[in-house]
Amino acid sequence: MKILTTAKKVVDVELTIHVENGAIVEDGLQYVINAWDENAVEASVQLKENNGAETTLVSIGSGDNTDMIRKCYAMGIDNGIHIDDPALEKADSFVFAKVLQKVYEAGEYDLVITGKQAQDTDSGQTGIILAECLGIACVSNVIAIEIIDDGKIKVSRLGDMGTEIVEVVLPAVITVSDSINEPRLPAMRGIMMAKKKKIQVMDLAGLGTSYDEVGGGSLKSEVIEFMESEKRQGGQKFEGDAAEITAKVVDLLVNEAKVF
Amino acid sequence: MNPLFMSLLLIVGLAIFSRTMVQKIQLLMALEPTDRANHITDRLKNMVVIALGQKRLVGRKKEWASGIMHAFIFWGFCILLIRSLNLYGEGFVKGFQLPLFGDGSILGYLYIALKDIMEGIVLVMAVYAIFRRAVLKPERLHNTWEAYFVLGMIGVLMLSDLLLDGARYNLIMLHNNPEHLHFFNNPLYGSEFLWTPVSVGAASLISGFSADANGLILTTMFWLHIITQLTFLNFLPFGKHFHVITALPNVFLKSLGYPHEKTKLLDLEDESVWEDESLGINHIHQLNWKQGLDLYTCTECGRCKEVCPTHTTDKPLNLHDFNDTLKAELLENAGNLIKRAKLAATIKEDGDAEKNEEIKAQMAELNSKKPLIGDVITEDTLWACTTCRACEQVCPVTIEHVPRIIAMRQGQSLMQGVYPQELNVALKGLERNGNPWGIGYDKRVDWADGLDVKIMAKDADVDYLLWVGCAGSFDDRSKKVSKSLVKILQKANISFAILGKEEKCTGDFARRVGNEMMYQMMAQENIETLNNYKVKKIIAACPHCLNTLKHEYPQMGGNYEVIHHTDFIDQLIKSGKITLNKSFQGSLTYHDPCYLGRYNSIYDQPRSILQALSKDGLKELDRHGRESFCCGAGGGRMWMEETIGKRINVERSEEIAGQKAATVAVACPFCLTMIEDGMKELDKDEDIKTQDIAELVANNMA
Repeated sequence: MKILTTAKKVVDVELTIHVENGAIVEDGLQYVINAWDENAVEASVQLKENNGAETTLVSIGSGDNTDMIRKCYAMGIDNGIHIDDPALEKADSFVFAKVLQKVYEAGEYDLVITGKQAQDTDSGQTGIILAECLGIACVSNVIAIEIIDDGKIKVSRLGDMGTEIVEVVLPAVITVSDSINEPRLPAMRGIMMAKKKKIQVMDLAGLGTSYDEVGGGSLKSEVIEFMESEKRQGGQKFEGDAAEITAKVVDLLVNEAKVF
Repeated sequence: MNPLFMSLLLIVGLAIFSRTMVQKIQLLMALEPTDRANHITDRLKNMVVIALGQKRLVGRKKEWASGIMHAFIFWGFCILLIRSLNLYGEGFVKGFQLPLFGDGSILGYLYIALKDIMEGIVLVMAVYAIFRRAVLKPERLHNTWEAYFVLGMIGVLMLSDLLLDGARYNLIMLHNNPEHLHFFNNPLYGSEFLWTPVSVGAASLISGFSADANGLILTTMFWLHIITQLTFLNFLPFGKHFHVITALPNVFLKSLGYPHEKTKLLDLEDESVWEDESLGINHIHQLNWKQGLDLYTCTECGRCKEVCPTHTTDKPLNLHDFNDTLKAELLENAGNLIKRAKLAATIKEDGDAEKNEEIKAQMAELNSKKPLIGDVITEDTLWACTTCRACEQVCPVTIEHVPRIIAMRQGQSLMQGVYPQELNVALKGLERNGNPWGIGYDKRVDWADGLDVKIMAKDADVDYLLWVGCAGSFDDRSKKVSKSLVKILQKANISFAILGKEEKCTGDFARRVGNEMMYQMMAQENIETLNNYKVKKIIAACPHCLNTLKHEYPQMGGNYEVIHHTDFIDQLIKSGKITLNKSFQGSLTYHDPCYLGRYNSIYDQPRSILQALSKDGLKELDRHGRESFCCGAGGGRMWMEETIGKRINVERSEEIAGQKAATVAVACPFCLTMIEDGMKELDKDEDIKTQDIAELVANNMA
């Protein structure tokens, strides 16, 4: 079985994001693997360990993704592809899906596993659009994957009404929830041994396509402005006599906060 | 007596002993190298104080009786060495006298007197030792037939020598010396027997026997003594009594300058070590020879387990068994390890690569077949250790347990990738944001909002760098300590700054859990930052940071004068830069943090501060100072689950609560968290406040 897994490099959400003139202030930011994609990598590696599979990781984005891909190697991924093209800077989920489609078609995979969304945009669309483009099944928000045979898998997904057990015919796209597993830390010996491993880096032309062909020429959606999230106001602290404080708090709640 | 028989005994006895010792030494030489051939004066000093002086035996109030017992047996043996030489001489030459110790000098007389009294004392001590084992049965002791056998031999040695002299006395004084036996009779110092009351006492026991019988007793006791002695010598290397031979060299060769062998700075860039899986300890042959000598020397006294926070709270780490198991594994593989080392010596770096590979394959065949962690030492045992060093502090023969444990954890973390998975969160936090909480590094300086604290990036022209640490920066409770410390430094007009967002975890916990890679990553970045600002003096608000900055960063080119905040505050008080009101009321006690006390010998300064601010003085805990009890958070345990046995912090909190303390002072953010949590668990957090010394000082400054 050949499994394709995606990994997006996103801004570390532990950091406070500042916005200036509608744009994110890049200074001081750092980038990490999208947490849900980490779950996807872990899921692929577990399938490989338990059932035997060849795992390939693809990451799209301009810049240096070497570290991230190496760490995925150290987690147990076999091959890495980095689609590095500056043209993709403004790409939306649709464009990403089209690029992934090209990668998929070049590699004849049986199963695609992606994080259900990315921590930076929280769109949650790429995997689903990819399945649509490929005309294959998609199950989202998956919390468990079980291989039945070469042509079929059984997955559990968190639906509105509870956990749904779904049988899916392969090839298929699975987008995973963070409750599917606890991603391992890349093995240190693996990190060192992975230094020698090659990463296939290519631009869109190398992939046999162009920005226009993947929909970049007529973007279906575009971020035009960022706004800083509202800062949480510090609370008020009251000290002293309990009765006095109670009266004061009630007064503030009624007259200032107007909660009643 | 009988030169032929004496020669035979000596040749056989010494030949077997030499053969055993050669094997034991060969095995040590097959282990990894470590350099101990330095600072001879310091080493001799340690040997005199700790080994000859029996410091850790007689120096512990709790163990006063057994300490004295052991010390006298040991000193007795040292003294009797000279007597033994004399007896060997007598085997060949009748009336043999050692030069200087003969009847011509006062030294000879003083010696026979000392020897006589010592034999009496050792005999009493051996009887007490048997009584203690058989009747008192201290919990820490592991009762074995070996112990009784050796005590029995000691008894026989003393009795035989006393009866030998007794019979001699009877023959000379009661039976007109028919065999013309030699005895000291210097006109200046008188007869020998005036100096040897114990032997004369022994003589009275057999004075009723005839001259012949006394002659027979003399001969029998002589040979019994010699044979027992040679048997004893040959028995020693096969059990825990090997320490009789190895304790002195083991203490002489102990680590200097830092309480135990520093964690080796591993070369992680060297590809071969990853391929050969040679980092840390994964196999018994990866112990170094000193660690092997430690195993030979373990006396199985059990002091280590008695003070161990994990053993006393029912966790599987039992250092007595840990040593014993490792020793058994070492000895079981002795032959193969020696062969392995011989093969290793044939590898030539510039030799034929193929041949070298072949040798390496042969060497691998000789490795122990049992995985060290898993089969020999269980994982729960390995990961239980809090690295508190209580075991090392009490070990009479200075065995270093902790470095071994850390090296084994390195093997597990770096090579096998097997370690408690709950560490992942903290390790990932370290990697991404330089703190085990994983909070955004950009929030590291939020605690100092409005405090007017200088940041190095803006103004590096200061006398001190205040190293806040991750807890002081991110943990809400510890942030209050950081604020108090700032208040004190500002009050004393100290010129200081912090690194702010540029500060990262020192890497202490990563190193203790064997993740050398993460440690080096943190250390390298911090050292670059510190050296960039040309930092010279650092005030550390956390003993773990203090220890790493002070003792471990020099390995990587970071050399600073590092001082803990309690030490610094104590200096501020003594130099009058801050004045304390003696205004603190209520029962106050102090919990010594392991990394401040046992690792950095800071015991007095915190106490001096607390005495200065407390109206009611300071009440010591039962386990305090050098024998303080760990809070349970060291060695990376802060970031692991504690699922086996009783919680260590609860055990300690109960001890504090038992002292009826109203406030327990601490000097470490981990201790603060652990003790406060322990009090919460006991529902005592309202009655017993846990406070850092900096907070107490800030609240009681004039």
